[in-house]
Amino acid sequence: MRDIFLRWSFWCLLLLIGTAIFGNRLFDAPPEREVAAPFSKPLWLDRTLPPTKEIRLSPESPSLLLDWHYAPPSRLSIRVEPSAGETGRFVLWRKPETEVPLRLAPLRGGFEADGRDIAFKRSLGLPPFGDAAASLFSEQGGYELSVSGEGPWDGDVVLKLEGGRWGLLGTDQRGRDIASLFIAGVQVSLIVGIFATLLATFLGTSLGLAAGYLGGWTDSVIMRIVDLLLSIPLLPVLMALAALWGKGLWQLVLILSIFSWMGTARTIRALTLTLRDASYIEGLRGLGAPSKYILRRHLLPETLPVLLATMTLGVPGAILSEAGLSFLGLSDPRVISWGRMLHEAHSFGAFTAGAWWMLLPPGFGIALLCLVFLDLGKFLEEKVDPRLRKGVRQ
Amino acid sequence: MNYWNRRIASAILVLALVLVLNFLLFRLMPGDPVASIIDPRFSPEAKEQLRRMYGLDQSLPVQFLMYVKSTLSFDFGISFLTGRPVMDELRSRVPNTVFLLGTSLLLSSFLGTWLGMKAALRRGSILEKCVLWIGALSFSFPSFFVQLVLLMFFASMLPVFPLRGTLSVPPPSGGAALLFDYLRHMALPVLSLVLLGFGGWAIYVRNLMVKILGEDFILLARARGLPKKNILRRHAFRTMLPPLLTIFLLALPGIVSGAVITETVFSLHGVGRFLLEAVTGHDYPAAGAAFFLLALLTVACNLLSDLLYGVTDPRVRLERGNR
Amino acid sequence: MISIRNLSITYGRMTSSGRTGETEAVRNVSFQVEKGKLFALAGESGSGKSSVLMAIPGLLPDGTRISGDILLDGTNLITLPEDELNRLRWWRIALVPQGAMNSFTPVLTVGRHVEEVLEVHLGLSKKASQQRIEELFRMAGLEPALASRYPHELSGGQKQRAAIALALACDPDYLLCDEPTTALDVITQQGIVATLKKLVETRGLGLLLVSHDLPLAASVCSRLFIMKDGRLVEEGEPREIVAHPHNPHSAALVNALLELEREEESGC
Repeated sequence: MRDIFLRWSFWCLLLLIGTAIFGNRLFDAPPEREVAAPFSKPLWLDRTLPPTKEIRLSPESPSLLLDWHYAPPSRLSIRVEPSAGETGRFVLWRKPETEVPLRLAPLRGGFEADGRDIAFKRSLGLPPFGDAAASLFSEQGGYELSVSGEGPWDGDVVLKLEGGRWGLLGTDQRGRDIASLFIAGVQVSLIVGIFATLLATFLGTSLGLAAGYLGGWTDSVIMRIVDLLLSIPLLPVLMALAALWGKGLWQLVLILSIFSWMGTARTIRALTLTLRDASYIEGLRGLGAPSKYILRRHLLPETLPVLLATMTLGVPGAILSEAGLSFLGLSDPRVISWGRMLHEAHSFGAFTAGAWWMLLPPGFGIALLCLVFLDLGKFLEEKVDPRLRKGVRQ
Repeated sequence: MNYWNRRIASAILVLALVLVLNFLLFRLMPGDPVASIIDPRFSPEAKEQLRRMYGLDQSLPVQFLMYVKSTLSFDFGISFLTGRPVMDELRSRVPNTVFLLGTSLLLSSFLGTWLGMKAALRRGSILEKCVLWIGALSFSFPSFFVQLVLLMFFASMLPVFPLRGTLSVPPPSGGAALLFDYLRHMALPVLSLVLLGFGGWAIYVRNLMVKILGEDFILLARARGLPKKNILRRHAFRTMLPPLLTIFLLALPGIVSGAVITETVFSLHGVGRFLLEAVTGHDYPAAGAAFFLLALLTVACNLLSDLLYGVTDPRVRLERGNR
Repeated sequence: MISIRNLSITYGRMTSSGRTGETEAVRNVSFQVEKGKLFALAGESGSGKSSVLMAIPGLLPDGTRISGDILLDGTNLITLPEDELNRLRWWRIALVPQGAMNSFTPVLTVGRHVEEVLEVHLGLSKKASQQRIEELFRMAGLEPALASRYPHELSGGQKQRAAIALALACDPDYLLCDEPTTALDVITQQGIVATLKKLVETRGLGLLLVSHDLPLAASVCSRLFIMKDGRLVEEGEPREIVAHPHNPHSAALVNALLELEREEESGC
């Protein structure tokens, strides 16, 4: 088993699991939060567009020189934190060429203004159309933002300039950071994939062992059910169940596992049939060992290697099914999964906006995860095979 | 019991099961199911009419009989969402879905079979490696993702194909223009399905062919001095035909799932999207109709593939007749 | 005449751990097969006799190394290009394969197999073939009606005779029979062997029969070759060999044969 360390998929899986567990630390904002303008492009994509910047003026750094060499931002918003209290001072904006700074906002705790507020624009002497940002930052160059008066005050002033660019992967239709959504998606895909497959494997193993070992009626009934379930097209049934039972995450896991145990059952049953007539099992039976004991202490451990391989190969199926259902809109809207991201991309106008950065990350994420498990599964299968061929452990 | 009797009996059993489940689902909802229709188009009188139509004022067994009778005569009632007869809704959508699935199944199976055979004949070549790789990849990428990417790049960024729909709104007049418009709308969906599907076919055919080419009777066909073309066509391919036909027919019910997703991605006016809307919108008559038809299709395909296998493979024919 | 000179055959081998090994199946074998006589090539399993047989019409797997010559009336079959070899197959040299093999394509009737060869090699139409097929089946000792049956519908003996009928289709000069009687009951065996002998006599075929059944081989052939471990260890008239085996191995074989005979005589 040592050569598992040579497989790329092993390290990739570790990376993905690590991302799922610790990924949230990378982003201090929860993925649902709106961080920038909708459909912002990734930072590296179009350097002519202005990025989204957040400028903080604090008592420690009351003035800032902003070097703005892009097109004007699309939106501006300013907020003074509540702790500032009433100070009689102002937040100033100045282009270095002009002498007189403009009073942007009073330094009053709780003050909030948006670049589109007409009152705000009028107070600045700006035209009532469009966003204040366009007028304030119409030229490229240096701008100074400062706070009037001397001395410290409480709280921060947050000036947000929204451009068309944000982050590693841009934003979606609600202005949420796609990179954080992507990481949240890893969690869901891994959880659903692994748990659904675990449950299905448990079901399949129990039924397969029962069918193979007990034979007769039990065997026929179980196998008929397997055949029946295998011939039913999966998606419509999943759709119906999801619509009926609700869209929660754990309902999804349950539904997926109910329809994926059949393959495992068949494999385990075949294995049990070959093992059942092995001499040492016969010996145990002859000594009077009860069936349950034989199943639990002897047959089950024999099946474990095969199970591991089968399970690993089954995870991609669960991931793809969850993605499919989420894409169709049949999953919990509050849960961020890659399929859900694709659903939102499709239904909320990413295509008309040409926002391909919403589309590619979740899709490639799903594919990567599937390829990782398929590769590992193939590796495990190869490990298991010669042992099966060698026969029963004496 | 005769093999065929058993198969037909189990097919009928499955259909009966589907009927019972459909019936129960509708009526097991708490309260008056008709009352759940909030649609203002349904006046109280209309609702009363619906109630009578579905026999909701009668006993359960009678209701079931009424339901079975109407379903088997393909009278599926009125859709809760649109207020129109379900049959009409289906009638306008079925041709589109059939075109989509039929064309893509035919194209991908032919392309895949041809590539698979070529790959089997050229073991170890680049072609074979490509075929195996593409096949493996096509299992990992979700189908709707590939379709979305195609849509994004060939409809949104490069406006070669339309973004949505089965026909332009308003549709062009004149036979040729209409046909062209239709084909232009269906091109990307069909293309995407073929792209997603041919890999699996190619791998299956390649494996099957490699196995058959290793059989004794192929070696002996060579011993008889037969030209390669004869051997491939009359001996190898002919032996491959029964399993190929079976897979083709059995692929059909599975493709219906593909229809749901494809029609959603490309916003096509088809039965798949109808099913999705019916299920999410709790439109029981429509959903029930769609599920029943789907079960019918699945059962029919299973029976048909069994039948065809018996016809094409003489080894199986007698076995079944004699039981 | 088929003349085999210094024939050596080496197979490439794949072991379960994936490495390629090589097996020398045939080492430096030489003998001749003439028309109008029945020759037998005997030996235990693995002695290389089937390999020699399959080498003649060029049916060894790809990657097999062959050295030496196989001459058919002067033409070296080993160096002949594939399409020319294909023309010679069945036309000059026909093969009756082992009964255990699935020699017929399962989806075609046995008659169709014969029809096909007649069409390809002799250009006969379907109608013209009908008569010939009846002839061939009768020659092989089969009811002509069996031509419309599928391979899986025939018994072992019937399949073997059908294979003989198929082999005779193009009136070949030489017939190569690989274990024609294995897996058949004794009575059927005798019938098949009798048919083969009659064919040699009536049609002047050169027949090379490969078998691990030494008594059988010795009883029908006019010249016997014995192989062991890829080498030709004994060659000559069957009576001579049985009476005076030169080689210790053939001696052992002969002793076993005599044991059997003695048992039969005493046992009855």
